[in-house]
Amino acid sequence: MENMIFYIIAGVTVAASLLALTVRNLFHCALFLAMAMFGISGVFLFLNSDFLASVQVLIYVGAVTVIIIFGISLTRNMMDEKSKAMNGQLLFSVVVALILGGIIIAAIQESPFVGSEHPVSLALSNTVMPAGGADYSQHFQNGVSYLAGALLKPENGFAFAFEFVSILLLSALVGAIVIARKDPS
Amino acid sequence: MNGIPLVHFLYLAAILFGVGMFGVLARKNAISVLMGIELMLNAVNINYLAFARYWNWNSLTGPVFVVFVITIAAAEAAVALAIIISIYRHLRTANVDDAHYLRG
Repeated sequence: MENMIFYIIAGVTVAASLLALTVRNLFHCALFLAMAMFGISGVFLFLNSDFLASVQVLIYVGAVTVIIIFGISLTRNMMDEKSKAMNGQLLFSVVVALILGGIIIAAIQESPFVGSEHPVSLALSNTVMPAGGADYSQHFQNGVSYLAGALLKPENGFAFAFEFVSILLLSALVGAIVIARKDPS
Repeated sequence: MNGIPLVHFLYLAAILFGVGMFGVLARKNAISVLMGIELMLNAVNINYLAFARYWNWNSLTGPVFVVFVITIAAAEAAVALAIIISIYRHLRTANVDDAHYLRG
């Protein structure tokens, strides 16, 4: 039953992403993109990542799609009836995308990941200590605090990158404002 | 949660990556190209989380990288839309084919 739900979500995600990149109306594209992002957040739930699934909904469905719709509204002569959605490289693009996906899928089938049927976490109980000394055995019950610890504790090595990426985000937003601003001249 | 093999997540991510690549290559509007890039980044996120849960479960590196990828994708979307709006203001178009001043 749960497996069926996963395959339904995966099918809806793939269908919505295909529609988001082939439909001619750009507003419909943005809405299908939001639907695909919802599906991806459902896939995240199947991967035991409740916090990242909610972050996915907040950022992609809530923020990025709205920003894209604003961008569509601000550049609006693309919506007229006769303009085509695709450029002149449609056949070439289909061939390249199919070859790329085929190569990735063939590589997956040759890889050692085919044998790993079940997640290791199912075999865990809370009393089992994982190798390496780190006690992440309760990680799946309380994912957010462990994720916060991994990001913010200096001994985990990601604290500097976390602070740096916040500076990057701030500078990108300031740069976006500067780029999109009207010239004063 | 049980019974779904790891490779099915990888197949889903590969299909989404291919669809995003198709969108980046084939669409005429720059905003659609941006949508394709977002889709490719999300396919990579699925791969990160799948490997973190199935393959290297006692490491939090996968979810941490997903957080970084989401942050940088948001920053990239903001800058890309600013560039698209600026191009639209100068050229009155948002087609990537029409913005060819640097073609030489």
